[in-house]
Amino acid sequence: MFYLLLCRSLTYAQRSARFLERKGMTAIVIKAPPAAAANGCAYALRIAARHYPYALELLQNSGLSPMRVFALENGELREVSP
Amino acid sequence: MIYLDSAATSFQKPPVVAAAMQDAMRRMSSPGRGAYSSAMRAADTVLDCRENLADFFHVPDAGQIVFTGNATHALNIAIRSLLKEGDKVVISGYEHNAVTRPLHALGARIHVARAPLFSPEAQVEAFRQALPGARAAVCCHVSNVFGYILPLEEIAALCRSASVPLIVDASQSAGILSLDFERLGADFLAAPGHKGLLGPQGTGILLCRDSALPLIYGGTGTESRRKEMPDFLPERLEAGTQNVPGIAGLLAAVRWLQRQGTQHIRRHEEMLMQQFCADMAENRQVDLFTCRGNKCQSGLVSLQVRGLDGETVARRLGERGIAVRAGLHCAPLAHENAGTLEQGTVRFSFSPFNTQKEIRRATAILTDLAR
Repeated sequence: MFYLLLCRSLTYAQRSARFLERKGMTAIVIKAPPAAAANGCAYALRIAARHYPYALELLQNSGLSPMRVFALENGELREVSP
Repeated sequence: MIYLDSAATSFQKPPVVAAAMQDAMRRMSSPGRGAYSSAMRAADTVLDCRENLADFFHVPDAGQIVFTGNATHALNIAIRSLLKEGDKVVISGYEHNAVTRPLHALGARIHVARAPLFSPEAQVEAFRQALPGARAAVCCHVSNVFGYILPLEEIAALCRSASVPLIVDASQSAGILSLDFERLGADFLAAPGHKGLLGPQGTGILLCRDSALPLIYGGTGTESRRKEMPDFLPERLEAGTQNVPGIAGLLAAVRWLQRQGTQHIRRHEEMLMQQFCADMAENRQVDLFTCRGNKCQSGLVSLQVRGLDGETVARRLGERGIAVRAGLHCAPLAHENAGTLEQGTVRFSFSPFNTQKEIRRATAILTDLAR
C-alpha cells in the first residue's frame, strides 16, 4: 500500500521529495492520477504506507504540506484526511 | 581578440557551462509536463539551480528564485508588481533603460535622486530627501557605464526605514560583488545569468521577497483547469517552457563561481581595473572616469579620447583586436548625470578570464590611438 501526497506544483513535489529523502524516506515524484487532480495536471509524492505518518508530520512542520492525500491500495484510490 | 566588453555579456565562460548545456540538450526535455526520465532530469536540474542560487544570494527559500529570460524581463516583473500609473518612484541617476523605459511606459512619476558620480554620501542623502511619499525605489548596484558601486546597503536601510519597497538591479554586480538578499531587505533583486554569473544568454533571475504580479500568463504544468496563474512562487511568474539548456549552463556557472569565491573574482577584476587606470592616468588625450583610489568602482571603466568620437575609438580598437563598447550604453540617464550625454563614452569592462598581459596590450593600443 502507498500514499499519494498531492503537491501544488512540480517544484513543491521535488522539494518535498528531497526533504523526505534527507530524512531517510524514499519519495517518488509522479504525475497524479486524474481522479486525484481536481484542477487538472498535478504532481504527487508516492511514499510507502509505513512512512506516511512521519512524512506528513515533517512536511506539515516545514511549510510543505500536501494539498490532498490519497491511499493507493490494490489499484484503488481513496482520499484520506491528512 | 582581447574581449573587454563583459558588461554587455560574458564571452569567455568556464568550460563546464557549454558542457552542461550540451548535456541538457542531449538528455533533458521539458520539466513539469511529464514524469518520464528526461523530464525529471530537467526538473532536477532546474531545482538544483534554484537551490544553488538561493545559497549564493542568501535567499531563505529556493522558491523565491524565479527564472526569467534576462534582467530586463526580471525588472519589468518587479516594476509592474509594485507600481501603477501616477505612483511616485525614486531611482538613482545611473539607471539603465531596463529600469527607466518600463517606468516611463507605466506612467510612473519618476523622481531621480541625483548625486555626482562616485559620491556615495551624496547619493545616500539624495535618496533620503526623495523617499517620502514614494511607492517604490529602484537602484542599480553598479553603474553599467561608469562601474560606480552605489551605496546599496545604506540605500536599502533608508528604504526599510521609510517602508518603501526596493528593487535592486544587480546586472553588473551579481557574481562579482557579495550580495545577501535576506540581509539587504530588498523586495526584488534582478540579475542576468549571462554577465557576472557567467551563464548563457537567455537566462536571468528575479529574487522575490513576497509574491508578485505575473507579467506573462500561460501554462505552468499543473492545475491546468484553473483560469488564473498559480498564486504561489515560482510558478506564478514562470509561464511557458523553461530554457532548460540555459538553466543547466547557469547551474554549472554558479557552481564554478561558488568554488572560486566572489571575493577572489572581485580582487582580480579590481587589479585589472587599477592596472588599466594606472597605464592611462598620465595620458592627457584620455579622460578617465574613475573613483579616487578605485574604492567605489568595479571592474569597469569609461573614458573619452579628446579629438575622437567614441565610435571611432571603438572601431579602431576593434580593428586591432580589442573588443569594447562605445556610445550611451542604453543608459542615457547615467550620461546625463555625469555630463557625458553629448559624446557618450568608450567602456572597458573586465572578466575573471582577462589577464594583466591583455590589459597591457589594450592600453598600449589605446595609447597609440590617442596620440
